[in-house]
Amino acid sequence: MRILLVEDESKVARFIARGLSADCFAVDTAADGNSGLELAAAYQYDLIILDLMLPGMSGTEILRHLRQKDTNVPVLVLSARDAVADKVGHLELGADDYLTKPFALAELLVRVKALLRRGPVSRASVIRVGDLELDRLSRRVTRGGRPIELTVKEYALLEYLMSNAGRVLSRSMIIEHVWDQSFDGVFSIVDVYLGRLRSKIDQSADHKLIRTVRGVGYSVSNGAQL
Amino acid sequence: MTAWYAGLLVCLLILFGASVYFGLRSYLERTVRAALSEQARAVGEEIGERVTEKRLPTIVNYLNEKFAPQLNARFIRVTNARDGVLYLSKRTSDRLLEPAVVPTPPRQSEHEYASEAFLPNGNRVLVQVFPVVTPDGKFIVEVGSLYGPIDAVLSGLMMTFALGMPVIVAVAIGGGYLLTRRAMRKVDEITVQAEHISSNNLSKRLPVFQTGDELERLTMALNRMMERLDDAFQHINRFSADVSHELRTPLTILRGELEAAVQQERLTPELLDLVGSALEETERLRTIVDQLLVVSRLDAGGVQMEKVPLDLGQLATSTAEQMLLLAEEKSITVRCDARPGVEVEGDPSRLKQVVVNLLDNAIRYTAEGGSISVSAATQNGWATLMVADNGAGIPPDALPHVFERFYRADKARSRYLGGSGLGLSIVNAICTAHRGEVEIASTEGVGTTVTVRLRPADGRKAASRRAESATAHLVQEWRVQ
Repeated sequence: MRILLVEDESKVARFIARGLSADCFAVDTAADGNSGLELAAAYQYDLIILDLMLPGMSGTEILRHLRQKDTNVPVLVLSARDAVADKVGHLELGADDYLTKPFALAELLVRVKALLRRGPVSRASVIRVGDLELDRLSRRVTRGGRPIELTVKEYALLEYLMSNAGRVLSRSMIIEHVWDQSFDGVFSIVDVYLGRLRSKIDQSADHKLIRTVRGVGYSVSNGAQL
Repeated sequence: MTAWYAGLLVCLLILFGASVYFGLRSYLERTVRAALSEQARAVGEEIGERVTEKRLPTIVNYLNEKFAPQLNARFIRVTNARDGVLYLSKRTSDRLLEPAVVPTPPRQSEHEYASEAFLPNGNRVLVQVFPVVTPDGKFIVEVGSLYGPIDAVLSGLMMTFALGMPVIVAVAIGGGYLLTRRAMRKVDEITVQAEHISSNNLSKRLPVFQTGDELERLTMALNRMMERLDDAFQHINRFSADVSHELRTPLTILRGELEAAVQQERLTPELLDLVGSALEETERLRTIVDQLLVVSRLDAGGVQMEKVPLDLGQLATSTAEQMLLLAEEKSITVRCDARPGVEVEGDPSRLKQVVVNLLDNAIRYTAEGGSISVSAATQNGWATLMVADNGAGIPPDALPHVFERFYRADKARSRYLGGSGLGLSIVNAICTAHRGEVEIASTEGVGTTVTVRLRPADGRKAASRRAESATAHLVQEWRVQ
C-alpha cells in the first residue's frame, strides 16, 4: 500500500512517515502544495494524508483539484484548525476524514487503516486477544471460557481496545470513541473505568492483558507485541 | 428633582409678585399724592390772590365750581387759625368720604407735607397738607382722597397673582415634565441599548439621535469608546486564537517524537517513565490549547451553536450517571433531582459539557465520603441547573475570579488535583453564548453551589414535546455501599 503524505513541517512529516513505515506502508512525502498535487497526479496512491496550511498551494485547493478530476483516492486531512466549520467544509469538499493536530500517532494509524478498509475494522463478530474473547453479536465477554459481566460502558471500552489490539490508544481517543466530545479533558473518567475493567479481566489471571503505557494510553495485547 | 424645580419656581414667582405689588402701590400713591399736591397748591395760590384782592369769601363758590371735589371723590378743606373752617367740600357722590369727619392735621408746619387720616368708618384717606402764609394770616389747605381705589387696584393685582400663579406653576411643571420626558425617552433608549452590549456583541453601537446637543455628543463619545473596546477585544481574541494555532504544530512534533521514543525497545524503565511523564505533559498542553481556543472562540462570538430543544433534567441525570464512577471512587454520594419539563433550547453537546465540567469540579474538590447534588428546575422564569457540593469551598476573595481563564483559588492544591484551569471559563462562555448566566456561591469548608440559568424553550414547542415524552419527576440517589 502506498501513501502520499503532503506536509510542510519536516519533523511532523518524518514521524508520520516513520510510523506508517513501521506498519509496512510505503510513504512518499511532499513538502509543498504544488509538488503534492504533481505526485498525486503522477501515481496511483491508496491514500493521501493532506496538511491544510502549505506553502504554494493550500491543502484545500489540492483537495478540490483531486475531486474535480474524479479521483476517488481516500483523503485524510490533517489540520491545526479545529473549528466545526472547517471540518464540515472539508468533508463536504470530499475529504474522507479530518484529524486535528496535535494527534496521537496511534490515532492516525487507526484512521488510516479504517480508510483503507484493512486491519482492525474487522468484520468478524468475535474478537480474540489471548484467551480473552468478545462476541459483538451476543455482547458476551469471556476469559478462558469463564464469562465476565460488564456494564455497557465497560463493554464499549473493551470493544474499542480489543478491536485495536496491540495498539496503544490515548485517553483522548478513548474519550472520543467511548464517551463524547463533552468529556474532553476529563481523563480521570478513563482511568477509573479502566481500573474497573482491569479488575474484572486481569485480577484473577496470571497473564495481564491490559497494559498502561505512561503518557500514551492503554492497550490490550497478548504480551509479546509492543 | 421636579419638586425642587417647582419650589424654586414658586419662590421666584412670589418674589416677582411682591416686587410688582409694592412697586405698583408706591407708584399709585405717588401719583395720587402728586395730584393732591398740585390741587392743594392751586387752592393755596388762589387763596393768596383773593386775600390780596380782599375778596376771600368768594373762594367758596370758586372752589366748588373749579374743583367740584364732591364729584371727583376728593375732599378739600381750608382752615384759618382765626376763622376756623373757611371752606369744606361736600360729601362725595359715592358717599364714602364725609369731609366733616376727617380729623384735622396732627401737626403744624410751614411747609407742605403728606399725611394720612382714618375716618370713623375705617376708610383711609390720603391727605396733602399745604400751609399758605398771607398778610391775612396763615391758611391751611388740605386736599385728600380715599385710599380705596388704590386698594382696589392692588387687590385686583393680588387676585390675578393668586389665580395665575398655580396655573403658571402647573403649566411650567407639566411642560417641563413633558420636555424632559422627551429627552429622557432618548436617554432611556440609549440605556436599554447600552445594557444589551456585552463582550459578545461589542460591534453593536448605541443609537445616535441627531439632536445636536449634549446627548448626541455623549452617545457619540460612548460609541467611540466602545469601538476602542471592540478593537481591544478582537485583538485579544485573535491573539489567543493565533497562539493556539502556533502552539499546535510544535506540540504535534513533540508528541510524535516522544511516542516514537516510547516504541523503542531498548529504553530502560527509568527512561520510559521519563518519556511517559513528558507525554503526559504534552497531553495536558494539548487540552489547554484546545480549551483555550474553545473559550476564545466562544468569547469572540464566532461559534455556530446548534439550537435544539432539550430537557435539562434528563441531560443532567444522564450525564451524572456517566460520571458516577468518578464519584464512587471517592465514596461521594450523588443525588439527582430533575424536575420534568425543564426545557431549554441549545447545543446539546456544549450544554452537556457544562454539566460535565461542573460535576468534574464538584467531584474534584469534594473530600472522600462527601455528597453532591444536581438539580434541574424552573425558577423565576429561568431553566435552572444547580450543582452543589459539600467540599472545600472557595475563599471569598477568590470567588469573583473563578470564571477567569487559568484562575485557581488555591494554586498548590489545584495543581495537585489536576484540571486545566479553564473548566469554569468554558462553562461561563457556553452559558453566555446561550444567553444564560452562571452564578457561584461558596462558603469555605461548607461547600460550593454553582447555578446555571438558561432561557427556557419556547412555551408551545416545549409543551408539545412534554406531551410526547411525558417525563416523570426523577429523583435519584446513588450511594456507595
